[in-house]
Amino acid sequence: MSAKAAPPATPARVGRYRVIPLLVEGSAAKTGPRQASVEVRAARGLPTTLPTDWKARALTRLGQLVDERRGLRVFLETCTKCGACTDKCHYFLGTHDPNNMPVARQDLLRSVWRRHFTFAGRYFPWLVGARELTEAVLEDWFRYFHQCSECRRCTVFCPSGIDTSEVTMAGREVLASIGLAHHYTEEVVEKALRIGNNLGMKRPALAATLESLEEDMHEECGVPVRLPLDDASADMLLVTPSADFFAEPHVDGLIGYAKVLHAAGIRWTLSSEATEAANFALFTGDRAGMASIAARLRDAGRSLGARQLVIGECGHAWRVAYSFMETLVGPLDMTDAAHSRPEHICEVTHALWSSGRIRLDPAANKGVVATFHDSCNVARGAGMGDRAGGQFSLPRELLQAAVPRVVEMSRDTTQQRTFCCGGGAGLLADELLDVRIKGSLPRAQALARVVADEGVTHMAAICAICKTQFGTVLPAHGLGDVTIASLHQLIGNAVVLDPVAAAPGASAVSGAEPLSLSAQQS
Amino acid sequence: MRAAEVDVVSIVMASAFTVTLVGLVGGLGWRILTWSRTPNPLPIPLAPAPRGYPGVVLRLAVETFLFRSLARASPATWLPAMSMHYALLLIVLVHLRFVVEHLPLWLLPLLRISGWLTLVALLGLGVLLWRRIFVDRVRYVSAPSDYLHLLLLIGIVLSGAALKQWGGVDLYRVGEFVRGVLTLDWQAFPLHAGLVAHLLGVLILLAVFPISKLVHAPGIVFAPTFHQRDRGGSRRASSEGDG
Repeated sequence: MSAKAAPPATPARVGRYRVIPLLVEGSAAKTGPRQASVEVRAARGLPTTLPTDWKARALTRLGQLVDERRGLRVFLETCTKCGACTDKCHYFLGTHDPNNMPVARQDLLRSVWRRHFTFAGRYFPWLVGARELTEAVLEDWFRYFHQCSECRRCTVFCPSGIDTSEVTMAGREVLASIGLAHHYTEEVVEKALRIGNNLGMKRPALAATLESLEEDMHEECGVPVRLPLDDASADMLLVTPSADFFAEPHVDGLIGYAKVLHAAGIRWTLSSEATEAANFALFTGDRAGMASIAARLRDAGRSLGARQLVIGECGHAWRVAYSFMETLVGPLDMTDAAHSRPEHICEVTHALWSSGRIRLDPAANKGVVATFHDSCNVARGAGMGDRAGGQFSLPRELLQAAVPRVVEMSRDTTQQRTFCCGGGAGLLADELLDVRIKGSLPRAQALARVVADEGVTHMAAICAICKTQFGTVLPAHGLGDVTIASLHQLIGNAVVLDPVAAAPGASAVSGAEPLSLSAQQS
Repeated sequence: MRAAEVDVVSIVMASAFTVTLVGLVGGLGWRILTWSRTPNPLPIPLAPAPRGYPGVVLRLAVETFLFRSLARASPATWLPAMSMHYALLLIVLVHLRFVVEHLPLWLLPLLRISGWLTLVALLGLGVLLWRRIFVDRVRYVSAPSDYLHLLLLIGIVLSGAALKQWGGVDLYRVGEFVRGVLTLDWQAFPLHAGLVAHLLGVLILLAVFPISKLVHAPGIVFAPTFHQRDRGGSRRASSEGDG
């Protein structure tokens, strides 16, 4: 249903999925992350110059982390160098740089840890590949720990269950402790902590944006679908990634949530206190920062008296909410017992759809042949619904209900084995574009295949990072004609809005008869 | 104790075994204690993860005994790895003949196929070594110790096989020596160059076990990605009739 005049697609030039490359040492060494500015580091409480005792500080921090995190300790000690992971990382498949093999990336840290913390490494470093911590090693750490999107695909294939993301996070945290920090990631964390969202968007701007979006929706579908902000009478607080407020195609996802919730008659609201679901502190291993960003969500829900906290389409936000939130900030005691944990917007929509409270009409997405990209943090870091593998089946069932035809990409690239989009864990930064394009190669290969064989027009995702990344990098693979869609954009198109039931005033404003109840009873 | 027969060589061998075994048990115990005492600040199970403990036990068993993730990753590594581990396990079981005084009946079939076990173990180890040398990705991540672990195992298996074939060692006296070490009632060591070579390899293997990557065996159980469960579902009483 592409409105474009469909110029003959630049033929995809990605090759077939999947050729295991030969090593090309140093091939990704030119792409490195930008060092955080002095202002950002100062604001984050990080050293603004390399301390003279950097080595002692770094080793002390490394030792602390190993003592504090069982995963890290076990992962450093049990790798057998079997090679199972070596061809599983998208950055390796795209760059051919051996340091992007998961085990080699871990070894950047493991070799130093062995040298300074183990018997064999102290006395026989040459025997076990142990290395002294030098400035050259720091440079390798800084570069290659920012060519890892912490997506955990390698973990799926590791016989010892080693999670490279834990090693990457530890590496980044050690680097930050001596002032080597990634500008983009730290700046985002700083904004999220100070202003409340990654964009630094304040309440008046947000309110104006939502208002104009409401007008657009009204014009488009003739139904006054609302985007309430700070509505204390709401039952549901929805927290989305801030990209949903302005960027394409994210904003269409926001409109999709609004239409679904409107159609179901649910009284919901956004909060100007919690304008960001994303939590970039996860990426740097900064647990304190992660906890304060997560606490914002809970506090906003409490202050609004909401009964239910719902997370929008954002991959790692869902991992933090589903897997870490309770540990980080305690139980969500502002919600009622039926909603004792944060819920994903897909869970909400799926429940409404499967119980018949909303209807989806795939004819509204006429001509769409869609495929679904599993976002790494949802696929491997969380669950969804009350069923095993719900994070795979719920979004797919919704997609199937919303569009005429759904096609699956290669099974080696979906569900638990999905590839990261190539922009996760802070890698969405401009200076890393080369590595981002190369890292998206396996996904592009799998996509090119279904585009050629099945005529796929849309790839749906439930993660703001995935959407931004694909929009930027797929044209470089000759796949610029594939529309990257928010899942809730396609659902929003398909949801049947009843103009009568949704008469003005019947939504959040009138508190007399909550539509959610009446809809449930009818 | 037949003190007259316990010569210097016997004392050296028996003390080496005793020290190594104490080191093995102590080292492994210390390592497992360290692992279990290190906190798990955030749950990081690899999803989809089992929701209950029976599921976790099953997952750990499948990973430990069938190397499921390795099978997923690379059948070309999985097959030699399975062959090597299980053949070595059975060969170790065969060596129980030196630990118990009277050969248990159930060991007889294993004894009969021990030649085949040797062959399978050597094939597995050989393929793994071949991969380490010739697959550029694996070679890149290999340190000298990674080759030496394989060579050590190959050396132990080969020397053991040679002993069996051409050794002429008094197996009963080997058993007496081993039981003597285990019961702290040292017996004479039947001096034999091939036997010393074989046992030296075993001693090195046992000594480095707790301080090298060989601890991956108990390590699997302590990997939070495997042993943690998905707690999400159980905390939620759904009112929405979620599919």
